[in-house]
Amino acid sequence: MLNSYMHRRSFSLNLLCGLLLLLTSCVTPSPQVRQVGDLVISDLQIWSGDIRISGVVQVTSEGRLILQPGTRLFFVRMDRDEDGIGDAELLVEGEFEAQGTADQPILLTSAAAHPQPADWKFLYFDYARKVKINYLISEYAYSGVQIHFCRAQIRHSEFRYNIDGVRFSTANIQMTDTSLHHNRHGIRFEERGGQGRIHHNRIYQNEIGVFAVVRCADKTLFEYNDFEQNIPYQIKMGLKQQRSLNFPRNWWGDAAGLAQETVFDQFYDPVLGQVFAPEPLTLPFGLISTPKESSP
Amino acid sequence: MKNIFNTLLLLFLVSFFALPALACVGKTLQIGTTGSVQQNIMAHMIAELISERTGTSVKLVEFANSAEAHAALVKADIDLYVEYTGIGQGLILQGQPMADASELYKQVKDRYNQDLNLIWLQPLGFDAASSLKVNMPAEPAPVVRKDTLKKFPALARLINKLGGKIDQQAIAQLEQQAMTAEVAKVAHNFLKSQRLI
Repeated sequence: MLNSYMHRRSFSLNLLCGLLLLLTSCVTPSPQVRQVGDLVISDLQIWSGDIRISGVVQVTSEGRLILQPGTRLFFVRMDRDEDGIGDAELLVEGEFEAQGTADQPILLTSAAAHPQPADWKFLYFDYARKVKINYLISEYAYSGVQIHFCRAQIRHSEFRYNIDGVRFSTANIQMTDTSLHHNRHGIRFEERGGQGRIHHNRIYQNEIGVFAVVRCADKTLFEYNDFEQNIPYQIKMGLKQQRSLNFPRNWWGDAAGLAQETVFDQFYDPVLGQVFAPEPLTLPFGLISTPKESSP
Repeated sequence: MKNIFNTLLLLFLVSFFALPALACVGKTLQIGTTGSVQQNIMAHMIAELISERTGTSVKLVEFANSAEAHAALVKADIDLYVEYTGIGQGLILQGQPMADASELYKQVKDRYNQDLNLIWLQPLGFDAASSLKVNMPAEPAPVVRKDTLKKFPALARLINKLGGKIDQQAIAQLEQQAMTAEVAKVAHNFLKSQRLI
């Protein structure tokens, strides 16, 4: 009787420990976690494992930061200026490579037990000399990534549970095979003379799929993307976006194409430009043959 | 001459690329409220409008009364809040009561601009004199710091989209709705119904 009780108790404890281990291994840093406060990087640094960041990490224009497969950065919720947005961030003015793989993606996340969007500020590129992102997951930030005044290549990544998933201005962006979901804005951009191609991405279940804030002029080509269930708007124009924009060859969640009521443009405010969605895909891009090379 | 030209060109290029219209990276606009249901509705409405149309982050800051909110506005602790013409004239400016609503608005607006560097935007459209128990018509309108308007040139035009949009019946309905629903949601739904967001 006693043995049976002990056996059941032992089994229950093991089960409980196992579950706890499983849960904690998913979302919290391992015991060997490295602690980083405010830090300036002006040389080559190669990071791996778990790192807890409680400050601003700046990679200067001379610096270079490489994140190896499986690296996890945990940003501590801290609000020095009390603006409601976390202040921990990774700012890159030099070179940055996220070398994640399908099996070992890189994770940038909140260190909070109950994470929320904007727990930390952003992964921010400003005049960066090189930006190469592969298999990176960025979540619970104000912006999953912000890119300004530089070129950037983003592939096989995921931006989720942020205010802005991917945000850029005056930048040349190549983004493909990436998922943006459960953000307030999947993509938010101000073109300002920048250009790029955003293709074969899944942009779904954000409040706004793409927010074209201002000075966008069709130099950034959005094609062969799946836009689904971005509610209330798949595409939204900012207050001063007066030029019309084209989003050709995308899947809009319906074979009929982009529904007018899911677009905030001239339809709502006569001073705004108009959104056009020519040649809509009749199925999600994964189900039909679509070229990876740029369309003429 | 060539150096002057180059300097001017450089300044132009820097200002052209460096000054977003109303989407400053990392800048959060602070909006005050004195905490009543009516004040919270108006503050949330402005916050939602700014946030939805420009993507700029907005934070609400609560004060005990108009005097505290005004002091915070003057000190630049907040960027704007909604004040009533009657309160502005009586409590803040220590002026005499005035019967004519449009004349009162004009006088308060002029004195705030000249004496305090604060800008009154368009009145929202209803009169709160009876609910505030003041003895002159009290029209609510957003009051904004002049330097905030310089930093965000499109802000006045955006907020003025609310000008005259909330009449006596509308504010009564909104206050009623706020008894059973989140104020932010009430404000959001109103803006949607007006096709402003």
